[in-house]
Amino acid sequence: MKRSRVITTALVLALGAGVIAFAPLPGASAKPANRHFRVEASAFKYTPATIRVNAGDHVTIDLVSTDVVHGLYVDGYDVSVTADPGRTASLSFVANRTGMFRLRCSVTCGAMHPFMIGKLHVGRNDLLWRALVLTLFAGLAGILLARVREVRQ
Amino acid sequence: MRAESGARLLVVFGAVALAVLTVVAVRVPARAVELRGRLPDDGGWSPGAISARVGEPLTLRMTSDDVVHGFAIGQSARPAVDLLPGKWMTTTVVFDKPGKYTYYCTRWCGPNHWRMRGTIEVTGSGARVLADSVPLFLRLKLDLDQAHPSDLLPAETPTAARAGGLPTPVALDGGDLRTQSPAQVWRALRKHPGNARLTDQQLWDEVAAVWRAATSRERLAEGRQLYRDNCAACHGETGRGDGVMAKALVAGPAADPSGIEHSGMPGMSGHGTVAPTDFTNKRNMLGASAAFLQGKLIRGGMGTGMPYWGPIFTESQLWALVDHLWTFQFDYESGAGSSGASRTTHDSASKPAMRPH
Amino acid sequence: MTERGVVGSKRAVGTASGGVGSSGRRRADLPQLPAPLGTESRWDLLRWPVLNAVLRSRWPQLLVRVAALAGFLIAVLTGLLGTPVGNHNLGIVLVWIAWWTIMMLVALPFFGRGWCSICPIPMPGEWLQHGALLTPRRNGAGLKRAWPARFKNIWLQNGAFSAVAVCSAVVLTQPRITAVVLLAFLFVAIGTSLVYERRAFCRYLCPVGGFIGLYAQLAPVAIRVKNKATCAAHTEKSCYRGSADGAGCPWMLYPGALAKNTYCGMCMECVRTCPHDNIALTLRPFGADLRSPAGRRLDEAFKGFIMLGAAMVYSAVMLGPWGDLKMAAYDIGSARWLAYAFAVLVFINGVLPGLFLGAVSAGRALAGSTQTVKRSFIAFSYALVPLGLMAWIAFSLSFVFASISYLWPTMSDPFGVGWNLFGTAHATWQPYLTRSVPTMQALVLVVGFTSSAVTAHRIGAEEHEQRAALLQAAPVIVYCFLITASLMGLLIA
Repeated sequence: MKRSRVITTALVLALGAGVIAFAPLPGASAKPANRHFRVEASAFKYTPATIRVNAGDHVTIDLVSTDVVHGLYVDGYDVSVTADPGRTASLSFVANRTGMFRLRCSVTCGAMHPFMIGKLHVGRNDLLWRALVLTLFAGLAGILLARVREVRQ
Repeated sequence: MRAESGARLLVVFGAVALAVLTVVAVRVPARAVELRGRLPDDGGWSPGAISARVGEPLTLRMTSDDVVHGFAIGQSARPAVDLLPGKWMTTTVVFDKPGKYTYYCTRWCGPNHWRMRGTIEVTGSGARVLADSVPLFLRLKLDLDQAHPSDLLPAETPTAARAGGLPTPVALDGGDLRTQSPAQVWRALRKHPGNARLTDQQLWDEVAAVWRAATSRERLAEGRQLYRDNCAACHGETGRGDGVMAKALVAGPAADPSGIEHSGMPGMSGHGTVAPTDFTNKRNMLGASAAFLQGKLIRGGMGTGMPYWGPIFTESQLWALVDHLWTFQFDYESGAGSSGASRTTHDSASKPAMRPH
Repeated sequence: MTERGVVGSKRAVGTASGGVGSSGRRRADLPQLPAPLGTESRWDLLRWPVLNAVLRSRWPQLLVRVAALAGFLIAVLTGLLGTPVGNHNLGIVLVWIAWWTIMMLVALPFFGRGWCSICPIPMPGEWLQHGALLTPRRNGAGLKRAWPARFKNIWLQNGAFSAVAVCSAVVLTQPRITAVVLLAFLFVAIGTSLVYERRAFCRYLCPVGGFIGLYAQLAPVAIRVKNKATCAAHTEKSCYRGSADGAGCPWMLYPGALAKNTYCGMCMECVRTCPHDNIALTLRPFGADLRSPAGRRLDEAFKGFIMLGAAMVYSAVMLGPWGDLKMAAYDIGSARWLAYAFAVLVFINGVLPGLFLGAVSAGRALAGSTQTVKRSFIAFSYALVPLGLMAWIAFSLSFVFASISYLWPTMSDPFGVGWNLFGTAHATWQPYLTRSVPTMQALVLVVGFTSSAVTAHRIGAEEHEQRAALLQAAPVIVYCFLITASLMGLLIA
């Protein structure tokens, strides 16, 4: 088999990967709403630990610390709030970025503080689905390419 | 061989120099007292007692070994210093009176936060601090453990703005409003012939107006701040006794929410504690006098889990705090500035401390 | 030091590596590396005079090791004397954030065992053994016994790593514990050096060395001989026995038979002792060692499962939203920790290999394999190596970018005494790249899976042609996909 066959195959596969990674997907159509959450923070956990909203929602999180001073930082949005026990603090932002974002404690609260984590899900997690499809595609593409090359030799 | 010696010198000298440097560096700089804050269950302040002399600067190098704590000296106007974990703060204090001062943690760090206290024994000449006044509740010989429930209850929240100005002169027993419970004042008003036309609820509104006249916006603001910083964690942000620490206080040590078994003082957490007082309870609050409430604050709950604030708050702070407690019973604000008779609904957003029943 | 080593040398030479596979096949698979054996490699980095001089001389290496030793000592001292608050303690930040970042994102993927060549931990022991710091001499201290034959494998390393892994929540967050663990490494290394010959600690005990070795197979650099015939003709074997120019291979390898990176510490001693300048530092494609069927072993196979499983467990414990799981992992000695530790050990040593055995058996049935199950199991387990490294990189990306800002204040005020060396003493915690990290993690895992799938297919092709090769590899590829999907679920979902 010719060398050009290998190159052609590689290009087609790369194109396929590009489509999986970047093809526009239909967006969610839910109307933006005001979403209010009460999140309790205690030794190394948030309750609830997972928050789900739709893209575009106006999100307000009331942070209630139940043992020591805790904070809440939202990955990807770069906003944070700090709450003392007995002093509920509030954080508002517009969830205009879709995907999964970790909530992290922003105030040192003990040994496991760096691992005090919650999750915010905004809309559909396109990254995850694209990644899973891309994984399958890339694996098969890799094998195919290896075989094409083998045949060439 | 020269190279080998050089290599050895480099390693040995480097290691020794580094070790010496580290050890020297972490030694406390001279002339400062090192004060470490830890969770009360892990030992609290270390050291727990400090001595100083009148007029001589006391330099404190402070840090927290676990979570956010704060440092303040009771009965003092010095602002609190936040102690962030792993960070060092230095502050210098000069005492002008001898006596026993209390330093305490100002940021909530669990159900036993208030036990995080230490003492500074200041020696020298001069009048001792904290020696001048006998609290009102002692002068009145009030029995703080005796409840005085009110059998008279308003149908709705007494609202100062609904009262038509200050009421008909009230004859106060003893003349000091702080020694009277709202129920007592209501009774006095009821007895007064000038109030015969008023309904019971209107009289309660009058009582609210009397209470409002006895305080000021500034004092209420100060009291609210003190309440938020020191009381709300147990008594709740809305005063209902449902603060975030309340569960631990009722359930005792088994329910330590941190889940960590502390070795420091086993069983200390919540031993013999009771549920925090509900300040929205009409029966208890309307039957209590300001002097009684202040007494509770000063003396604490004697084993119930309620801290004693006597060494912490000044007289003026205590009264401001008591003034704030009445706002859980009386509406001082709604309708203010507009027509006095309007029965406005409460705006819970702007006045979170007030909730109608 | 090397005279005594001769006794054990024959056996060591035998176990150093299984030699070279069927050379015709390898050649076909490696078009980028024209004739790497038998003639001088085009890709020998030592042909670059500057690098050659730097690596041949002992001084640059010594200076870097001294710097690493200083870092080690600072980590131990600040770990013991500094604040007990982990994320503000220089020891913790230096080891688990700075070192970990360099290790996982740079050193391991690009230089394999490069870290081992500058690791300070064996320094004191080696000094005693060699009787010298710089140039090894023959009058060093120690018994220089041969390492017991039954432990000439990495089962001890597997056990040591598992033991540290189930305690990781405390080791990672408690400065005192980190310091004690570091000191334990140091003293065990010294003790081992005094009893056994060469770097027995590094080769057979160090839990870090175990996984570095596993993933060093993927590294694009390797120490190899240029011409095997030269080695065969060289009777002194000074690379193994040592000579006036330096020590015999501290890693107990015979470079002439070196085919894989797994146990080569890249210490450069053979470069210094080879009288025929026959050692090359080759540049090669990523993952080249996985192409060689030789020298595959069960202990290494299990290392792969342990590492892959640990990456999954860490992702769940450290980066997951499950507070109770974190507390169970942290609360060492309690009932819930025992349950956690038991579950983790069963998962990484039982569930993962068990499911893999199922996948391998299915593949054997599909393709009609004539190999033994054990051979197939071991062979295919090497397909997990790329995915394992990428799983660790993906996990580390999340952890590193979220925590690296702890480095700035601790660097400026290393002992927590109010210094401000770099003006960053008051820098506050700030996670970086939180918008791009999930994408990076996804890509890293895609690369890992692809590489594992291709490797599995190639391992299948060692026994079968075309269709049967794919059939035999298919269940293993599905297994790898499920692992990848789980990791994506833990990290980006």
